[in-house]
Amino acid sequence: METDALIVGAGVAGLWSAWELALHGATATIVEAAPYPGGHVARFCCKATGRCQKCGACLLEDVLRKVRGSDRITTLLGSTVLEASDTDRGFDLTLLCRPPRIFPDRCDGCGACTDVCPVPGALVQSPFDRRMVLDQQRCLRFQGGECRACEEACTRGAVNLDMPAQKIPVSASAVVLAAGFRPFDPLEKPRLGYGRVPGVVTAAELDELIRTDKWFPGAGASRTRSVAFIQCVGSRDAKIGRNYCSRVCCGYALRLARLLRSRYPDIEPTMFYMDIQSFERDFEARLGEAAREARLIRSMPAEIRTGSDGRPEVVYEGMDEKRVAEPYDMVVLSVGISPGQSLGNLCSTFGIDLNSDGFLGPDGEAVTTSQDGLFVAGAVQAPRSIEDSVSHAIKAAAAADRYLRRMANREKQ
Amino acid sequence: MKTPVEQPIPLGGAAPPEERNLRKVLVLGGDRVGLELAERLAAEGFEVVLLGQAQNGSGTGGVTFVPHGRLSEVRGFLGGFDVTLSAQNGRIRERIGHIIAAAPAEVAPKFSAYGLSRTDGALALSEFPEWIARSDPSTSRDGKWFHAAFLCGLEAGSHPAVFSRVLDAVEQLGQLQNVQTYVFTRHLKVAGADLERRYRESRERGTLYFKFDEQGCAFEQTPEGVKMVFSDPLLGREMELSPNLLVVDEDLLPPASLEPLLRAIPASPAGSPFLQPESTRFCGVETAKAGIYAVGPSRGVFAPDLIVGDVEAVVAALRKPLSEPAPWTGLSAPEVDPEKCTMCLTCVRICPHGAMGFRDRALADPFSCVRCGICAAECPMKAIVLLGGVEGNETKAQVDRDLARVSAPGKIVAFLCSRSATDALESAGIASDHLSVVKVPCAGTVSTSHILTALREGARGVLVAGCFKGNCASVYGTALASERVAEITRVLGSAGIDPARVQYAPVASNTPGTLARAVRELEESLV
Repeated sequence: METDALIVGAGVAGLWSAWELALHGATATIVEAAPYPGGHVARFCCKATGRCQKCGACLLEDVLRKVRGSDRITTLLGSTVLEASDTDRGFDLTLLCRPPRIFPDRCDGCGACTDVCPVPGALVQSPFDRRMVLDQQRCLRFQGGECRACEEACTRGAVNLDMPAQKIPVSASAVVLAAGFRPFDPLEKPRLGYGRVPGVVTAAELDELIRTDKWFPGAGASRTRSVAFIQCVGSRDAKIGRNYCSRVCCGYALRLARLLRSRYPDIEPTMFYMDIQSFERDFEARLGEAAREARLIRSMPAEIRTGSDGRPEVVYEGMDEKRVAEPYDMVVLSVGISPGQSLGNLCSTFGIDLNSDGFLGPDGEAVTTSQDGLFVAGAVQAPRSIEDSVSHAIKAAAAADRYLRRMANREKQ
Repeated sequence: MKTPVEQPIPLGGAAPPEERNLRKVLVLGGDRVGLELAERLAAEGFEVVLLGQAQNGSGTGGVTFVPHGRLSEVRGFLGGFDVTLSAQNGRIRERIGHIIAAAPAEVAPKFSAYGLSRTDGALALSEFPEWIARSDPSTSRDGKWFHAAFLCGLEAGSHPAVFSRVLDAVEQLGQLQNVQTYVFTRHLKVAGADLERRYRESRERGTLYFKFDEQGCAFEQTPEGVKMVFSDPLLGREMELSPNLLVVDEDLLPPASLEPLLRAIPASPAGSPFLQPESTRFCGVETAKAGIYAVGPSRGVFAPDLIVGDVEAVVAALRKPLSEPAPWTGLSAPEVDPEKCTMCLTCVRICPHGAMGFRDRALADPFSCVRCGICAAECPMKAIVLLGGVEGNETKAQVDRDLARVSAPGKIVAFLCSRSATDALESAGIASDHLSVVKVPCAGTVSTSHILTALREGARGVLVAGCFKGNCASVYGTALASERVAEITRVLGSAGIDPARVQYAPVASNTPGTLARAVRELEESLV
């Protein structure tokens, strides 16, 4: 198989690079390990409060619509890059392509398979059309086990566990790495109580609950009213090797706070912060109000523990260096953007280095790497918002297109 | 939002060009960015007219320099803009294919925000490089330390690009002996490449940062210098500092030269100085009007390394219309029936993309039209027919056909925007036999007569579902649709018909629940 550009990752950056390259007349093949496209954004909710808050989540569905309609783009889901070597004409790669384990035309999303699956998260509903998808990196059967529970439970014959995965050789003139990021794992900061103190969630989890219409404040005495957002969890923290600002979390928390308040006006948000990163275009018009509505406390909590009434309690240093312990109904950790999981593999596969923050490719905002014909797009290279990832991906596609034209001219001569 | 009727006719007298030159580019420059962009374009075979930049020594081929030129008027369309430039030797008219706003930011020192005035000891941040080039603070006073204080968003906000420049200066002073640097701020804007690391390093090397919450810092300016009086935000101690040098930060604003371009793009948001509408759908360098592009400060991007990326992106954007087949191949523009068109020019005023012009009748420019259908919905003479849809091929003709097909008595007719509600429908799992769906390219396509037709054909209710306000890819399609629905409900109410039968619902592609809820609520209200 031949393609002008191979794109690693079908998140918003990878999809957008592919679409832009297609607009320039190039063919693009997207390789995505997950069983559905969209990356993290596929789990984010729309933050509109009656008017758009410019979170950018809708840019994913926009680009999916474009990519589906393009005959220049091939998307390989459940697939990974096994090997890559550079040649004088670009890259020779070997892909491992796994067939879809659930036939979309047979699945009606009844969920019988999920009920019997022993591994949480291995069988999930696609964020786009309610059908089930199987994550082959979690499924026991593809980790050397023998489990067939889902196949036996499915009454529609939609589960397909036996078709073998294939190794497919691909030659590509250019490669765009858009493998995305990993949300910071709050278990690395055990004092913040995640996984231990009831009522402590990550912002990403809250986001997904809202997207799937599963978050409600409840009623009566247990109704959620006070919500604390803890900023910079896994960002601006040199002690744990995160010597950078994740750039998105302040806007993210303010949007979530505003969304919750617009739906449930009795919610009272508090933000624990170091510096509010408000600077984007029209920020004041859009989020100034949210910042004024919230109670702002410039302090990083020392600890989050279970209070005597069972609610989470935030312990922090208040005025005059006094320790304060305040109970909240819910504590939301604004987890930062960490370098993606597969970056080590990508570095050795493609022979490039991590940058000073541990992300892939160069420092700064560049899209080119030390390897000719190898580009980076989106949050794989630095923390980026959805909109900034798209903007970065457009630039990566522009640089890749320029490179492809140079190669084509060289070949003509 | 400016309502369309208040808008002047943007391109008086312009008709879509018969011949287009997609290789000639006007660049509004003024610093290195404009020059680099012009040279990149020239290397790609474009013919460039560069404003605001003196010719450099190398005399780049393919670039015409108009150093003191200003853009005063723009008419026309992609590939055939008629632009008027005011230059030293009078007015120049040019036929231009593309226009790129790549002028540097307006830099506004914030002296007045702090109640200060500029003196030899109180400079604006932009003056620092020149100051340091001719001063040597480390040797100027025997044995005494030199104190340099930087204000950075102590009042009226800040920006990572400003903090980056403060760090440049702090780092430069850090190389010298006997210099103590201070930064006074409220929120450090570290959300940019390497800023957090540079901030920590400067702090470790001895720069003192004072971050204020409620209270700030008082300034006493005398001919001898500035005295700063404040209470240390961490220790609460009263402090005084009389720095040898006070550097005042600046606001970065979009360039002032954009006015003629804002006038040429009818959807330019009132009160916003940026060339792009606020919708997140405009996150590249394109504006709402084909052939006009925004680079860097013109679209709110101020960090130098991000502007470099914009340059790359705009060169690629200019190449798109040249690709084979052209992006609009197979798409036809709206057709205007010459018998019906009365030249009222409603369409010219209302098209958010500036795609309508006129000669003996209104004419759509096929290169600029995005097929949103707003013109057809607003035309009082119903003279405009939209043939080719842009995404998903929804067309007005098809909308009319679908409408005729689905408007069975007793149904709820749902007009769904193809950029939001159509996606939401897929995952909404709405189990209603009573729902008839009409897909539309933009909620703004749905005219009052569409809604009335549906009701006349016996629809129990009508739902118009489009994007949220501020999110519409055609800028105000959403606003027009909700206004039309409001208007119809008023009319229905006064005619004794239940106004609740027609509803507008804002929906995003990823909020299927909102769509399902809107359908359910409409159904319930009709019981």
